[in-house]
Amino acid sequence: MSNSFKVVVNGQQTLTVDASEGTLLDALESQQVEVHYHCRNGFCGACRTKLKSGSVSYINEPLAFVRPGDILPCCCVPTSDLEIDH
Amino acid sequence: MSYSTFNQEQTNPLAEPMFFGNPVNVARYDQQKHSIFEKLIEKQISFFWRPEEVDVSRDRVDFDKLTNSEKHIFISNLKYQTLLDSVQGRSPNIALLPIVSIPELETWIETWSFFETIHSRSYTHILRNLFSDPSEVFEDIVINREIKVRANDISRYYDDLIFHTQLWQTHGEGEVEVDGKTYNISQRELKKKLFLCINSVNALEAIRFYVSFACTFAFAERELMEGNSKIIRLIARDENLHLTSTQHILNLWQYGEDDPEMKEIAEELREEAKQIFMTAVEQEKQWAHYLFRDGSMIGLNESMLCQYVEYIANLRMEAIGFDAPFEQRSNPLPWMNKYLVSDNVQVAPQEAEISSYLVGQIDSEVSASDLGDFDL
Repeated sequence: MSNSFKVVVNGQQTLTVDASEGTLLDALESQQVEVHYHCRNGFCGACRTKLKSGSVSYINEPLAFVRPGDILPCCCVPTSDLEIDH
Repeated sequence: MSYSTFNQEQTNPLAEPMFFGNPVNVARYDQQKHSIFEKLIEKQISFFWRPEEVDVSRDRVDFDKLTNSEKHIFISNLKYQTLLDSVQGRSPNIALLPIVSIPELETWIETWSFFETIHSRSYTHILRNLFSDPSEVFEDIVINREIKVRANDISRYYDDLIFHTQLWQTHGEGEVEVDGKTYNISQRELKKKLFLCINSVNALEAIRFYVSFACTFAFAERELMEGNSKIIRLIARDENLHLTSTQHILNLWQYGEDDPEMKEIAEELREEAKQIFMTAVEQEKQWAHYLFRDGSMIGLNESMLCQYVEYIANLRMEAIGFDAPFEQRSNPLPWMNKYLVSDNVQVAPQEAEISSYLVGQIDSEVSASDLGDFDL
């Protein structure tokens, strides 16, 4: 099964993200999206992003509070095509 | 409702609210109502550090080379941080421990406060290295007008909660007269004071430290005061964790996952909570103005710093369910982030510290193939 998913960011850019190559945050960063982050470890929540459609799974369980409809890209990978507001 | 250090009534901590239920009796962590606080304790303990581990001796040479306006920026920020951690090293304990009702949160509060005392001790470590007698710096903290304005706003929500909790614990609900003034004490009013207090602490951890962090890291970008910057990185990592805990408390209330009365109060006082945050933003901008009154420093000026305060306030307010109030959506100080990544924090040069360093450092998994070349 392919691990590549389409990720639409802020309704503008469409990226192809390989879920086996690091976190969603790494992927956004490597494709020159301006990213927001602090700890990159799931505990501060600075990378908090709106998930408009699709699903993700967490590599590490986040300690920051994840409000319904939000994801923390620093510690998750996509498991389907996504639409996000970062 | 007087406080007992060991409540002898049988209670079920899994059914208690976070605050204003029965006082905690047995400190047990085998079962948890809100397991997040136990996880935060573990993470915080894995971050343990001592100020003396960081060599700040080169900073003295750097400090002598700074211009007068840069010295003003550096020392003023240390004073402000000393104030913040003086308050935070004691207030969560004094204000929250008497009213907390679940053991994992009680222990988180103690762990949190303890780490703030490490921060306080690190400011003494930094200042003792810069001055043969740092008294003048410490003494100015209770004299300096700019700092006093902030001290007042930071401590008053705590003080109000502490005072009314004391009246409630000694007199119970109803009218109480103290020094000719009448107070109407009810648990709901106390819960409102608690709500405002947690919002004020949340704003403190969320943005009040960041003006000063930005200046510290701006010096480090020029390879100046790097010992100090190493210490501030450790402090910033801890503060991020503390912030997560206050965000959890506020969100648990908001989503009705704890005390239903606190959900009502969160809705009722939403505007006031927002105002606490906005006031903190304003005060931080004024602080930036005070810092740069004698001149800027290379790489940083008042307007960039104010933009950063707005940028970070947006992130922090969205985390507790407010709309972002400011236009500033992109980070005006992108270099800040590299100092805030937790795994980049390094104490001893030989020890690239990872956050899992203390927790789970032993790999105890054994597979059958590991024993494959054993002969008996």
